[in-house]
Amino acid sequence: MKKHNYLFPAMVLFSLISIASVAQTAAKNATRNDLLLSLGYFNTNNQTQYLSAKAKTKIDGKFQMVSGISLSFYISNDSSAANLLGKAVTDAKGNAYLLIPPAAQSEWKKSVKQSFVAVFAASNLYDETKANVQIAKAKLKIDTAADKKITVTALELKDTSWVPVKGVELKVAVKRMGGDLNVSETQTYTTDSTGTISAEFKRDSLAGDAKGNLVLIAKVEDNDTYGNFSAEQTVPWGIKTEYLSAYDKRTLFARRGHSPIWLEIMAYSIIVAVWGVLIYLIGQMRKIKALGA
Amino acid sequence: MKSNDTSRREFLAAAGLLATAAVTGCATKENPFQPDAADGLKPSGKKIKLLSVDGEVIEVDEAFLKPVPHLPPVSNEQARIGIPGKKFVMVIDLSRCKSVKACQSACNHAHQLQGDQNWIKVYPMQDADHTAPYWEPTTCMHCDEPPCVKVCPVDATFKRQDGIVLIDSDRCIGCRFCMAACPYSTRVFNWEDPGLPKEVADQPYSCESSVPQKKGTVGKCDFCADMTRQGELPHCVSACPNGVFMFGDMIQDSVTNGAETFRFSDLIRDKAGYRLMEDLGTKPSVYYLPPVNRNFPFKNDEAKPEEKKS
Amino acid sequence: MDTLAKQQITEDLLPQKFGKQGQIWVAFLSVLCLVGFIAYCRQLSKGLVVTGMRDYVSWGIYISNFVFFVAISLVGSLITAVLRLTDVHWSTPLTRIAEIIAVSAVTFASIIIIVDMGRPDRFYNLFIHGRLQSPIVWDVIVITTYFFISLLLLYFPLLPDLQILLKYKEKTNKYLYKLYTFLGSFWKNTPGQISISNKAVNILCITIIPVAFSIHTVTSWLFATTYRPGWDSTNFGAYFISGAFLVGAGGVVVAMYVFRTHYKLEKYITDDHFDKMGKVLVMLALLYLYFNVNEFLVPAFKMKKPEEEHLLGLFTGEFAPVFWFAITTAMIIPILILIFKKGRKPKPAFVAGLLVVIGSWFKRYLIVTPTLLHPFLPIHDVPASYHHYFPTWEEWSIAIGSLAGALLIITFFARIFPIIPIQETITETEEHEKA
Repeated sequence: MKKHNYLFPAMVLFSLISIASVAQTAAKNATRNDLLLSLGYFNTNNQTQYLSAKAKTKIDGKFQMVSGISLSFYISNDSSAANLLGKAVTDAKGNAYLLIPPAAQSEWKKSVKQSFVAVFAASNLYDETKANVQIAKAKLKIDTAADKKITVTALELKDTSWVPVKGVELKVAVKRMGGDLNVSETQTYTTDSTGTISAEFKRDSLAGDAKGNLVLIAKVEDNDTYGNFSAEQTVPWGIKTEYLSAYDKRTLFARRGHSPIWLEIMAYSIIVAVWGVLIYLIGQMRKIKALGA
Repeated sequence: MKSNDTSRREFLAAAGLLATAAVTGCATKENPFQPDAADGLKPSGKKIKLLSVDGEVIEVDEAFLKPVPHLPPVSNEQARIGIPGKKFVMVIDLSRCKSVKACQSACNHAHQLQGDQNWIKVYPMQDADHTAPYWEPTTCMHCDEPPCVKVCPVDATFKRQDGIVLIDSDRCIGCRFCMAACPYSTRVFNWEDPGLPKEVADQPYSCESSVPQKKGTVGKCDFCADMTRQGELPHCVSACPNGVFMFGDMIQDSVTNGAETFRFSDLIRDKAGYRLMEDLGTKPSVYYLPPVNRNFPFKNDEAKPEEKKS
Repeated sequence: MDTLAKQQITEDLLPQKFGKQGQIWVAFLSVLCLVGFIAYCRQLSKGLVVTGMRDYVSWGIYISNFVFFVAISLVGSLITAVLRLTDVHWSTPLTRIAEIIAVSAVTFASIIIIVDMGRPDRFYNLFIHGRLQSPIVWDVIVITTYFFISLLLLYFPLLPDLQILLKYKEKTNKYLYKLYTFLGSFWKNTPGQISISNKAVNILCITIIPVAFSIHTVTSWLFATTYRPGWDSTNFGAYFISGAFLVGAGGVVVAMYVFRTHYKLEKYITDDHFDKMGKVLVMLALLYLYFNVNEFLVPAFKMKKPEEEHLLGLFTGEFAPVFWFAITTAMIIPILILIFKKGRKPKPAFVAGLLVVIGSWFKRYLIVTPTLLHPFLPIHDVPASYHHYFPTWEEWSIAIGSLAGALLIITFFARIFPIIPIQETITETEEHEKA
């Protein structure tokens, strides 16, 4: 009950405010919320280029992801049909992804810089909304030496050739599920005048795959000029790891048909013995019947 | 002599294979997507054409695409076996929790939980009169020797090879023995029809997403097995604003809350991680980091903290 | 012994048509069953939400009732098997009462367990997906086995009586006569048949004892295989079995009294029977009391933290009234009544038996529910109503309906078959006269 003492006035106050604000917005626009779109460019492992758009809206002062709306993605700033790359629908987290298709080749090759735009066409819920992103083409190169040294070079496309670029902040990590594990205590590195950084692999005896392989990843995240891009490299620096689960063992928590042998012997011998007796007795009953016939 | 001979022949064959691999590797531009050690993925055989940063058209196997294309839910048989070579683990850092309960609402939303059901609970705890109170979020512990699975009469709840304990709501007979057996009170029951929207209720049930819940059956945290199959984090982990939950593959010895990634063994060693009710021998897959150097003062608006009993 | 005496015994013991009292009794039980059935239909359509059970108290009076039925069914093996094998003959007139209590209780134990299931429509999964590791599967196997053994133990000694029933065609109606013919027309009382039948009954008596112990031990394991305070006990199997013998014997005393007064069987169910059953009851009550002391004193001495709340709840807390009521009515008062010779007269013995049965029912409730309200982690993040349990009218109706159903089976059985074995009584009287 104590809780309610201050809850009640708070609720009254809150409802008064909300009535007031509702009255205000109603004067402007019935129930339309603003759709907020953001667009990002990604290039994983110098290979998969894609665009990622995030859609959210503010309801009662809180951001909420907008799922299930269709977005159109265009190359260059001109959202004309000729530049359409494709459409994608936002998922439960408000994200929509679009892989950059081969059809964009000619437009892509025109310039070292590239613009993209994501467009939401007006509907009865939201007005038309656009988000764009401009990037300069860049990529990473990983080199590894035997003594667990990693060199990463950041390259930018100038005219027709890739040149090293200074001052790019990047991470060097081991690829892991859900998030990547830094190769050492250093969180980020910045490229020097030769466009390179060097990192040391300090994760001793980290579990690799069955052959002891690890996948290194160098990545630039949320860079204002270049967007997001990464490069990967497999190295034999881990220890061989193979996991054997208890899945196929006979245990009390295993599935049907995998109960421990002792349990099966006990249970089945008891069942056979008792039901053997019962079947024998039913036989005796038939004998009694035969005698009476 | 004979054995030597075969081994030499094998060696030659292997070398040949390597050479072909190298040649094809060169042919398909720089750094093709090699089967990824971290993910243990197998190529699907279905190629997708893409534009590379150099402006070339390249082909990539669908299985190696990131972001993962939307895949149909796996079959019941596959969902029962689990993902080979993985052992999922969660670490919950009690020093970071201030009972925001974003984990709970994200979980309830993702699993379409209705009414009073919560798969994640956040307990106000105090071990003894003069010890410090703290918040303790609990999920299903996905025990390695799960008492709930031991007692299930029909294999409706089962332990997979990747360590996840799931429920097949299409098989559960609703005897509730598993609820009595679970010492962590993690299981809930659908006492009435869950009242899901028709389009959700009509979906075929998937053990990995635990949707849709069905009347008269048991439900619980599933470690978001559908997300982990795609290499993504469970909803509670990504929803927590304070990074309380960390999730990962124990075989890879790494856990992450999305923003930070730790080496699991280092984290547990340096912060003296422990598991709940270790004395029961259930061997949980959820580890806790003690509530030392708390990020937030303990402030309980509900009531005084309840005493922990074990 | 002359044929006239034989005639007399037979006519005394032949099943009788329901009198007015009997008809009212049957109607009363049928109404209870019907109400229970209606409540169950509601439960089927709405789900278990109509019960008072929730996520913490996930087992309620259905499971208490199940344990009660399994317990009371054990008496079949006690009265019939244990006493027969030890060559005790005074119990002969009571064997059939004990056996029919066993059969009807086991039947309703299996029905009530289906009632408790969230998805009774998937009952067949137990057979197509059954896991040998689960104590529930052990219970299903052992209950089925016990049911069949009890049925055989009821049937074999019934054969000579069926022949007698067939002889008295004028005392029965067409349908019953057909039933008797179907069940026992082949019995000719030949020495060969008698010897096979006697041997079969002996084998059954030996077989039923371990099976009866299993059925209740496995039922206790449904609780004891979990970690919960109050259930996590190595004492549980023996504790359940001693309690089961007590409530079963109590049930037999009640049934003896009802049949004796209603069917005027004073010559066959004598004061001596009550005296002897009274002594048996005292012994069993003391035994159960012993196990109760064991079950509560030992953990209470240590007061481990998880146990503490549970035990204090029983001794002085929320459940104290029910706890002390159950202990006194199921054990202490019956002992106090029955240790005196006057207390072992039919009427006071009947009262004592009734107290035992009622107290035992509440004892089963205490075994199931309080433990569930004291989990290891505190009850949290659930609505306030989840902190308590009180059965709804649907649960009460179904539980009472199942008890009425079991009584109805016994009542109809006594209408159709002689509740006291005729042939055996004649044989015993003959032997008695010879001696």
